[in-house]
Amino acid sequence: MFVHRSTKRGAFAVAVAAVAALAVSALPAQAFSPRSETGVTSSTIKLGITVPLTGAAAPGYNKVPYGMKAYFDYVNDNGGVNGRKIQLVIKDDAYSPILAKSVTNDLILKDKVFALVGTLGTADNEATTKFVNDKGIPRLFVNTGFSGFANVKKYPTTYALFPSYFMEAKAIGGYLADKFAGKKVALIYQDDDFGIDALAGFSQVGTNFVAKIPYASGSQADPTVVGTWIKTIVGSGADTVVVFGVTSASAAALGGAYKAGLAGKLQWILGSVGADPTTIKAVAPTALPLLNGAIAASFLPSPSDSADEYVKQFQEINAKYNKGATFDNNVLVGMNAGMLAVQALRAAGPTPTRAKLIAALNTQGSKFASAGFASLGWSKTSHVGYNGYWFGRISADGSQTPVDGAGKYVLYTTDSSKGAVVKSTITRPAMPEKGLPTN
Amino acid sequence: MKTSLSKKIAVVGAVALASFAINLAPSAANAAPACAVGPVTSCQGLTSDGAPYVMQVPGNFNGTAFLYSHGYRYNVALPALGYPAVLNTPQPGPVVGSDTSVIKYLLSHGYAVFGSGFARQGWNADSGVATDVELINTFKTQFPKTTNVVAWGESLGGFMTQVLAEKHPELISAAAPLCMASPIEAELTMAGDFLWGLKTFFDPSIQGGNYKSATESLQDLGRVVALLTALKSSIATGVWPATTPEPVKAMLGSIPPRSALLLVGLMSGLPTQSAHFDGSTGPGSPNSAAYTNFALAGSPALAVLENGASAAVLAVLATADVELQAGGTIFDNTKTDYSARVDSEKAIYSAGLSGATATAGMLAYLAAAPRASADAASVAKMRALATIQGKINVPTITMVGVADPITPAGGSQWLANQYADQYAAAKAAAAKAKAKRPANALASIWGMTPAHYTKFDATGAPDTSGAAANGTNHCNFTAKQYIGVADLLAAAATSGSLPRPQTIATAARRMGGSVVDSKFQPALPKFFQED
Repeated sequence: MFVHRSTKRGAFAVAVAAVAALAVSALPAQAFSPRSETGVTSSTIKLGITVPLTGAAAPGYNKVPYGMKAYFDYVNDNGGVNGRKIQLVIKDDAYSPILAKSVTNDLILKDKVFALVGTLGTADNEATTKFVNDKGIPRLFVNTGFSGFANVKKYPTTYALFPSYFMEAKAIGGYLADKFAGKKVALIYQDDDFGIDALAGFSQVGTNFVAKIPYASGSQADPTVVGTWIKTIVGSGADTVVVFGVTSASAAALGGAYKAGLAGKLQWILGSVGADPTTIKAVAPTALPLLNGAIAASFLPSPSDSADEYVKQFQEINAKYNKGATFDNNVLVGMNAGMLAVQALRAAGPTPTRAKLIAALNTQGSKFASAGFASLGWSKTSHVGYNGYWFGRISADGSQTPVDGAGKYVLYTTDSSKGAVVKSTITRPAMPEKGLPTN
Repeated sequence: MKTSLSKKIAVVGAVALASFAINLAPSAANAAPACAVGPVTSCQGLTSDGAPYVMQVPGNFNGTAFLYSHGYRYNVALPALGYPAVLNTPQPGPVVGSDTSVIKYLLSHGYAVFGSGFARQGWNADSGVATDVELINTFKTQFPKTTNVVAWGESLGGFMTQVLAEKHPELISAAAPLCMASPIEAELTMAGDFLWGLKTFFDPSIQGGNYKSATESLQDLGRVVALLTALKSSIATGVWPATTPEPVKAMLGSIPPRSALLLVGLMSGLPTQSAHFDGSTGPGSPNSAAYTNFALAGSPALAVLENGASAAVLAVLATADVELQAGGTIFDNTKTDYSARVDSEKAIYSAGLSGATATAGMLAYLAAAPRASADAASVAKMRALATIQGKINVPTITMVGVADPITPAGGSQWLANQYADQYAAAKAAAAKAKAKRPANALASIWGMTPAHYTKFDATGAPDTSGAAANGTNHCNFTAKQYIGVADLLAAAATSGSLPRPQTIATAARRMGGSVVDSKFQPALPKFFQED
């Protein structure tokens, strides 16, 4: 009996081993990961984003996550990333740092995301930095140009994408010196790290303003505050106004100026953060006469430039996966960040971990394909993203064409330090076929 | 706001003083307790220092007894705030409002509960711990079936629990310092900074310390309460209080007073979320200007005001009490760099502070303002009072709300940081000796605030009549949260080590509004940030 039993056990063990071997051979490579990373399963990768979906800063920016999600859905329908579909958890922070902290805690502790991507706002990202750092959460392509976020020591897991506000101010200063020499220029700026970065950049290139008008974030929603801006601009004798603020601030300034009878009397130059024509038109329809002819700084191609391969592809994706949404700068920003995120995830390999994702960005990120006209600066020692802007004129229909003529993009590139502003041409990798990375 | 400030203070006082009544005649000091035997045997007595105590032991006593240390009670009567006399009523366990279900739960599960009312009120950690030590021995003598004593307590009682665990680990098997007070110097630094800020910006007649008598401190408390009441309308109107010094009006008058109040809160380390203000919700449509303005600019300042109202009584009276014990002034900010204090928060609260330019102006004013200096001998005496090192000797669980205005969550984080060093050293020693890796002995449970909880009435005015949100107010726990911690403590006491991390995380989730994550680390109190 004992022998017989033993034989049966042995046969059973062999059979189990054989079945197990069959099952194992059918498993994807990632199943062999000794310990799966938070937010990664055999079939999904979970990412999170915080943006203002409500509140004064919401118009326009609330389209960013849906542009990104549309791109992820497109990638998911085409095989995902190494067999995994990307899930994007979208949280509203209303542009409130306190709420950003709360919803980011939820993303990390409850939703258990693998990484954050495209989180928006300087103060909002500042508010969540400690936990993001302590937890080692990769925070990819923050939607802010605060130069501090490129500091690897202080923000080791954070990757900037936008050129810094410092760079942008230098580029605008260089452009003003180039094209607006002798003009009386006033500046409206957000009175926090966003604007302080810009002031330092303007100072670096020696831009003089006849008036500097700071506003506390959120106060642009107050018509009385906007009234004082206009009064100061008129009092200063300015003929050119630079707005270095969020889109709602640009809209408020243009709308206030129109109300004060200043249509056609001022040249407006809008910083990249506050220059989306679709949003301005939607928020302040009265601003349209002033928007027509305004000049805006951009680091991505014009969303109306269908001749651009990235724009064309993203427009198609938007039509299919983001139904009803007008394709604009915000959608473009979201999709562009999505495409970069997919390349980063692919580069992290078949068993992605947070550490592998960061290593991949540091070693391969600067070569990723994206719609941006300038090169990406990610490395082990720098998390700087793009480094240059082009200037375009906005027309009555909201489209934006380079100031020197259609297709004639001239980049003003620089750094976040004392480097000169240099005119340059576009250098970017070709778009992956059908917008689907294969890196 | 629907709830008046004075009413709020009265409510806060009442909550702090919530006590557990028991109907037995007192016995002589240090005598054996008088007991009434029943399904639950209830005993009472006095310790050798005269502290009244109670013990409750169920018929199915399983050998584990919970010793509870209550929190700070004022050592002066405050009839105007609903505190007619100094109370030393003994309390054997946590009470939620008037709900004693936590105690009932423990008794029904075979656990005994006991606790005292302490011999003196005010900052009484030295005498309180002595009372606890004596009480443990008395309990064990009375109930020899006792196998484990679990120590837990709240606020100052949480601090005493930690002192007890550090000094007398042989007496207890597990500990839970809940909403734990920090060492007295850290607590009074926060109180002193807040009072000094109010004095400097809004009312120079506020003393903020250096009290010569109880009467003087009560008069000062009256001024602080009056100012906080005035600030409530100042926030709404944008007009600085009438008591504002002329130089402030001249230099900072164009800045909304709410921004100065927010700065005072930030530099003191007060949370920017409070019982009814979440710092992110406004009235009306979320896309309206009013909503955004209130959420970004008004709400954080109102949270500081509400938290300040909760903390003001304690700030003044604890300062007066410790000055009395130490013999002189103990708050000193002659070397405090308030600009550095808020350096990492300036950008985050830029909207509430009215922008970088306004913030710089306010900080410049503070930098030039006269400072408070302490008496060195008094500070030395204060530092000699019972304190903690952050050493963990028994399985320990902390729990605190992330927006607790009196014992900030960072105080419990400090304990975790101190233990992290101890644990790392123990692990290194074990590795060197090729011994078994020691078990982690500390778990931190955080009470989280919901994303949105501010309510408004039909006129769009904030409605503060509802219950405080989870994670806010002082020691604002539900019965479920207390019971969850108690279950974990009982398991730890029995096994000698904390339950597995996953078990603790699951328990925290079931409690509701609570999380456990070693990487979630609230900011330390300002005192420790500079230490």
